[in-house]
Amino acid sequence: MLLILLPIIPLLGIFALRGTRGKSINIPFAVSSVTLILGQHLLRDVLGGNPLTYRLPVSGPFVPTFQADAVSAIFVLLAAFLWWVVSIYSPEYMKQEGGTRRFEICTLLTLAAVLGVFVAGDLFTLLLFFELMTVTSFFWVVHRWNEEAIRAGYFYLFFSIAGGLLLALGIVLIGTATSSLPAVGAGPVTPLDSQAFSWGVAAIVAGFGIKAGMAPLHLWLPHAHSVAPTPASALLSGLLIKVGAYGLIRIGELVGWGLEFGHAATWLGPALTLLGTCTMLVGVLAALLQSDAKRLLAYHSVSQMGYIILGLGVGLSLGKAGGLGLLGSIYHVVNHALFKAALFLGVGVIYIRTGETNLYNLGGLWRSFPVTAVLMFLAVLGITGAPGLNGYASKTLLHHAVSEAAQTGLPLMVWAERLFLVVGVGTAASFAKLFYLTFLGKPAEIEISDGRSQRFHVSMALLALVMVGIGLQPKLFLEALAVPAAKALGMETAAATIADLSFWNASDVMGMVITLGLGIAVCWIGLTTGAFHWTPPRWLTLEGLRQIVLLGLGAVIRKGEGYYRSAMAFFSNIGSAITSRLLSACQRLDHSRDGTIGDITLAGISADAAILLVVLAVLILLYAYIELDLPSLRLPVSLPTWLRIPFHR
Amino acid sequence: MTDLVLALLSGAVGGILIGLMPRAGNRLRNIVALVFSAAGTIFSWRVAGAVFAGHTIRISGEIAGLAWSLQPDPLGAIFGLIVSTLWLFAGVYSFGYMAGEHKQRTYYTYFLLAFSVTLGVAFSGNLLALYLFYELLTFVTYPLVIHERSSEAMKAGAKYIVYSLSGAGAILIAIIVVYSWTGNLDFAGGPLLAAGGLRPGLGWVLALFVAGFGVKAAIMPLHRWLPAAMCAPTPVSALLHAVAVVYSGVYGILRVVYSVFGHELMGQLHLSDILPWVASFTILVGVIIATQQDVLKRRLAYHTVSQLSYILLGAFTLHPWGLAGAICHMISYSTLKVTLFFAAGVIAKRTGKVRVSEMSGVGWQLPRTMAAFGVASLGMIGMLPLNTFWSKYYLMRGSVAKGKWQLALVLITSGLINAFCFIPTVVAAFAGERGQLSLEKGSETSLMLAPMLLLAGIALLIGLWPGLVWPGVEAVVDWFF
Repeated sequence: MLLILLPIIPLLGIFALRGTRGKSINIPFAVSSVTLILGQHLLRDVLGGNPLTYRLPVSGPFVPTFQADAVSAIFVLLAAFLWWVVSIYSPEYMKQEGGTRRFEICTLLTLAAVLGVFVAGDLFTLLLFFELMTVTSFFWVVHRWNEEAIRAGYFYLFFSIAGGLLLALGIVLIGTATSSLPAVGAGPVTPLDSQAFSWGVAAIVAGFGIKAGMAPLHLWLPHAHSVAPTPASALLSGLLIKVGAYGLIRIGELVGWGLEFGHAATWLGPALTLLGTCTMLVGVLAALLQSDAKRLLAYHSVSQMGYIILGLGVGLSLGKAGGLGLLGSIYHVVNHALFKAALFLGVGVIYIRTGETNLYNLGGLWRSFPVTAVLMFLAVLGITGAPGLNGYASKTLLHHAVSEAAQTGLPLMVWAERLFLVVGVGTAASFAKLFYLTFLGKPAEIEISDGRSQRFHVSMALLALVMVGIGLQPKLFLEALAVPAAKALGMETAAATIADLSFWNASDVMGMVITLGLGIAVCWIGLTTGAFHWTPPRWLTLEGLRQIVLLGLGAVIRKGEGYYRSAMAFFSNIGSAITSRLLSACQRLDHSRDGTIGDITLAGISADAAILLVVLAVLILLYAYIELDLPSLRLPVSLPTWLRIPFHR
Repeated sequence: MTDLVLALLSGAVGGILIGLMPRAGNRLRNIVALVFSAAGTIFSWRVAGAVFAGHTIRISGEIAGLAWSLQPDPLGAIFGLIVSTLWLFAGVYSFGYMAGEHKQRTYYTYFLLAFSVTLGVAFSGNLLALYLFYELLTFVTYPLVIHERSSEAMKAGAKYIVYSLSGAGAILIAIIVVYSWTGNLDFAGGPLLAAGGLRPGLGWVLALFVAGFGVKAAIMPLHRWLPAAMCAPTPVSALLHAVAVVYSGVYGILRVVYSVFGHELMGQLHLSDILPWVASFTILVGVIIATQQDVLKRRLAYHTVSQLSYILLGAFTLHPWGLAGAICHMISYSTLKVTLFFAAGVIAKRTGKVRVSEMSGVGWQLPRTMAAFGVASLGMIGMLPLNTFWSKYYLMRGSVAKGKWQLALVLITSGLINAFCFIPTVVAAFAGERGQLSLEKGSETSLMLAPMLLLAGIALLIGLWPGLVWPGVEAVVDWFF
């Protein structure tokens, strides 16, 4: 019962919002506090090893089912915490952005949807909340209702709708391949039809991949995440794309975590590894070229999702030994949510006070924003993986997993490891750039408006606190939450894989320090040579893609329209010819001027009359042919077989 | 049996009564119309309830030596249920929409007569009765199509008559052939032609039936009367040209496939491999043409063409799941499409805007209307909280289970094109400047809003709880498989 309260409480919050019109009560804050408490309660039950399930007592093909295991608990808690932090931040911010009520309604609805996804117990319920999330978060993206926002909103919506449709297709295929639809959290399935199952898994991976910003389906993400109001961006990047990761983890469960090769879809692990590597690389390369702070962060969301997908892929590929990959991914989901939210909130502070997000117009802001600068610095250290902060922990785990995979000697895995390091350097470089251009460097001539920033700092500090906590005690979170989660997913060996793992060994720390150093060097080279100003060719960008697609579609449609029209014109001409002949014949017969039925001239229905006359004539001839068996209608020569219309098989 | 007679009669009696009333007196006329359509609705609900409870209701007789019979089975009961429920909604909407229009007496007379005739189609128990009611439906809806009496409307009416009658001609030929083979036209004893097995000409008879009923079901290229008929008043477009009339074509095809041929015999015919592709062609081309239309009602009309073929696609898969999807879609699509048309009507009445390109800012003037429109658009894509998801799901299940996975891809593609077709309209409606509402005279909006919002709510409810309609769907599937 507790489970269904989770998505319902935010919905109740909307009624509360109606009731408190005009009063300054922070409903999202209250709601997310309650959710947080509930989530904690849930966690206690789940960590005891009892996954919760609840089925609504209804009949029919759709019985909404809810379940929660340790995986769900982690995601629920993460969502509740992020919403809680952001709801401290948002009232002050939205006062200046405008449309507070709309924003709050969206925030509550999206919270309900996200929690619903995480506690969904069957694929339909999951899809239900997933689609709800698409619709409600669309209103975040188009919050400003200007041209740019609407365009980004379209991209977001159409990509997401395609994702939802792909999920539906995947559910159909999986349902066909297995005797009954598998429940979420029920472990691996043995399909009757492994080909249909594979295609179903592929469709679902693509569907969740769109949401997760998996290359090449990530194109919508930077646009959508950068035009939304900053608190929404923080939640979009921090949590909503993690819904995609959650889905991929659950799909991995259907295929089988910790199973050796030979399970239903063996291709999934390597495929995710490949896609994850590409995503990482594409994201970081694009991020290096950005001049807009929010867009840079958005591209980094793509890149960091690549880490997560890579970890999942490696974990699946390695079978029993893949515990590190899965643990690293779950860990990185949490860490990325924390520092990415903090980064967005920090950039939001700068934006709300200066009205500027273009990095090249900012500079030297540490004097005016000392606290923001410190908190941002912590977040930057987090995302670049500096030792002592949370990013280090998960990136180290992921790196261990990838190196382990590389030892198998598969070229894919070897390259994944090499590129992993490259992406690390790229990340460091682009965040060095972000921090340098914003807070250091020569002071920009820019107007700074007055305003209170305490609430902004409180929310960022809360995030930073957790980040530092995880960074200093990396094993605590792993053992307390991630290992039970992996066990719930069927990865029994997870605990053993991290038993003799030490985060504070010289090689890992040195590796990270070298990565950071290289990153700063790359940043310096990029800034001095102007390489960061390179613009990619148009066909690589979403706009270019849109144009290509539109041009292609337009050409096809125009061509089709042409054929359609000429076919219609053909019939219409025949029709006019026939009717004019008929009319003139009739006129000659009775000397009347018009052939009319009441007010209707025959000429007006020419095309249609012609089509129907032709169809009818053909039908009557056919009937005569069949029924009367007229010999004269038989063709004298026999037709080639492919032209003959067989009546029966 | 009394219920069946009363259900069929109430529309006819009401129509004739209104026809006899004096011209003035809108109020009394509305009351009569409401009472008789409510009566028809209640009686057909009772008929449907009895059918689902397993009772047999049968009335039969002879005309000139030919037997006719009325005997609703689960499929007919579902059709009757959809039509009668929506008739009530459309009736209430008409009171709001038609206020101040001319020729209201004619309108309501034929509106109620058409109710009777459509129920006749639904409850007919053999091919002859089906044919007679199907033919009659053309005539009683003709005055509704030409309601405007403009030259455009007259043209559309002529088109409608010519198309429908030609289709009926094809059906008549096919019925004669079937009768000459079997000497019996009754649906009750299982598929008519199944006993005879394969015989020469079977494929052509099927083609004749599909082409004949396909005119009203708007299979391309027999669809052209439907966009033209959009010059009728909106309640007529919503009810007759999105549901009742076009469904009678779809219903005819379902009957032919499952009651005349039977799914086993159909599976042996070569044509049954081609028919799903004919439907797929209509699905895709219909919705692509819809995206190109600027006049909202025409866009909706082409969209109807596309969506009707979803039902046919499900029927042509010859799989229990496909049929379940088809029946689900008959239920779901009708609620959402009527909502879309009602919204289009409200927009046209209140702001005078009929083109999609003019609609920016309408959302702020008519937020509830546009919200209902948006919800229905999401449904047309097949998103989950809406009932059409379930029909799409079962249509895809059926196609995949029959090994025709390409059909599932067609449905997915169509869903995406549907998004392109409607979402920009909704977004544009909210994107523009917040304008002042210019009220057209004499429109009672609450009478128009209430049916629309209620229908959108019903669609959501069925989407969240498909178990509500599922027993009916199962009954139909069990009946035929």
